[in-house]
Amino acid sequence: MNKRTKQKFAFFFFRLFSIIIVGILIAILGFIAVNGIKVINWEFLSSMPKEGMTEGGIFPAIVGTCYLIIGSMIFAVPLGVMAAIYTVEYAGNGKFVRFIRMMTNNLASIPSIVFGLFGMALFVKGLNFGDSIIAGSLTLGLLALPLIIRTSEEALKAVPESYRTGSYALGATKLQTIRKVVFPCALPNILTGIILSISRVSGETAPILFTVAAYFLPSLPDSIFSQAMALPYHLYVLATSGTDIEASRPMAYGTALVLVVIVLFFNLTATLLRQKLSKNMKNK
Amino acid sequence: MIVTKNINFYYGDFQALKNITMSMDANTVTAFIGPSGCGKSTFLRLFNRMNDLIDGTRLEGECLIKGKNIYDKSINIDALRKDIGMVFQKPNPFPKSVFENVAYGLRVNGIKDKKFIADKVEETLKAAALFEEVKDKLHKSAFELSGGQQQRLCIARALAVEPSILLMDEPASALDPISTAKIEELIHELKKKYTIVIVTHNMQQAARVSDKTGFFMLGELIEYSDTKKMFLNPDKETTQNYITGRFG
Ligand SMILES: Nc1ncnc2c1ncn2[C@@H]1O[C@H](COP(=O)(O)OP(=O)(O)O)[C@@H](O)[C@H]1O
Ligand SMILES: [Mg+2]
Repeated sequence: MNKRTKQKFAFFFFRLFSIIIVGILIAILGFIAVNGIKVINWEFLSSMPKEGMTEGGIFPAIVGTCYLIIGSMIFAVPLGVMAAIYTVEYAGNGKFVRFIRMMTNNLASIPSIVFGLFGMALFVKGLNFGDSIIAGSLTLGLLALPLIIRTSEEALKAVPESYRTGSYALGATKLQTIRKVVFPCALPNILTGIILSISRVSGETAPILFTVAAYFLPSLPDSIFSQAMALPYHLYVLATSGTDIEASRPMAYGTALVLVVIVLFFNLTATLLRQKLSKNMKNK
Repeated sequence: MIVTKNINFYYGDFQALKNITMSMDANTVTAFIGPSGCGKSTFLRLFNRMNDLIDGTRLEGECLIKGKNIYDKSINIDALRKDIGMVFQKPNPFPKSVFENVAYGLRVNGIKDKKFIADKVEETLKAAALFEEVKDKLHKSAFELSGGQQQRLCIARALAVEPSILLMDEPASALDPISTAKIEELIHELKKKYTIVIVTHNMQQAARVSDKTGFFMLGELIEYSDTKKMFLNPDKETTQNYITGRFG
């Protein structure tokens, strides 16, 4: 075999594998879409589960997931972004910062069920919040924190040093420089990181299992100390422990479809936002 | 205007400036020339304390501006930098509009009056010979300007906070000949109002724009005199060799 044939051969396989991977992805999505779309209608999205979850809708789970997203981000975004600003802009590159960085990286690789357990010990029991939206939000926030810190750090580091020196040379203080030049410039990438962490948080089951998620609630949560239903856990319940699993199977696929659409929506938004905002940020 | 006495400057263990004593007059253009790596930028950055931003540096000696030691503890660094503008080698406008770039220095120095800011932006863009070219795109991104326009924008940005001294570190080295000529013309104009210190790699440029020239080598000030004398009849042989292009 000569060089050219070898190359053709190799490229053929590379292409084949990529096609297979895309194919698998499409198969998964297609499977969920085909099975899920049958039950999707306005009633499914807007009403409570009925008849032991074999009828009705998933409205409380959608609401619960929204609450958890908002709650976890209220906690994780300011904390994560401020931590990133501290490590990148203030703390230099000493031992302490390297230690913090190592810890955040480790934190990011801890299995989410461990976060769940920790959240239960600290928020549910320790702080006595009970199974509640606040305990679940804080646990999910902890899970999102390393991701937000890391993407924010990268975003800040990507801001050219010449912007900072340019600002200092005009008599700006460090804080002004960060607020008016560095942060706005890093914002598109920070936002992208936040949105990706939302998509991560909205799909997690393990951290909410022991901290907030309810099997079934007859009414919507009325305070941050109430339990809530949530899409990923609801899916788990429908698929494994409903009153009549066969009968609630279509509901499970519908729930999965809603969840996947939410996650994809966030990912897509992140991509579009990054493209749109970073266009204005690049010099020739 | 600027006086340095026995300046030694170190990056860690490396001594970048050796015993430099020099004085620069008001309303003149002083050029620093010399082979690259000889410490011109380092020396220039002393005057607005930009070297403070680099870790592990150390300074010996005195640097007086308008009679005050700017390394004295009582000096407010932000106020010092406001009074001593700096233009960098590579144009570095902020990712903001043309208008906001010029207004930036005013805003960070606490000026809020909209009318004042608008007038000042126009005035400094005119002073930087840029207004005619950008008056229709004041609110467009500064990145839409050409490299030469961006550099004049950076000059305007520095002028907006009314400095008395303007430091320029090879301001035209990244630009084409036409933009370079515009910057040089501008320097002629600006020296009526400002004290200018310019680092340049380009000998002809030093000859064209400056009144006095300092020749640096390996961290030392080899020779410092009127530009005319420097280029026609330098005292030292090294200077002669450098100027006639035998090395560097
Ligand atoms: N941030 C820095 N850290 C360490 N060494 C530096 C730094 N900046 C410059 N130097 C060194 O100091 C010397 C003078 O540099 P510089 O002032 O930039 O020279 P010039 O502007 O004349 O080309 C060079 O040898 C350079 O390597
Ligand atoms: Mg230099």
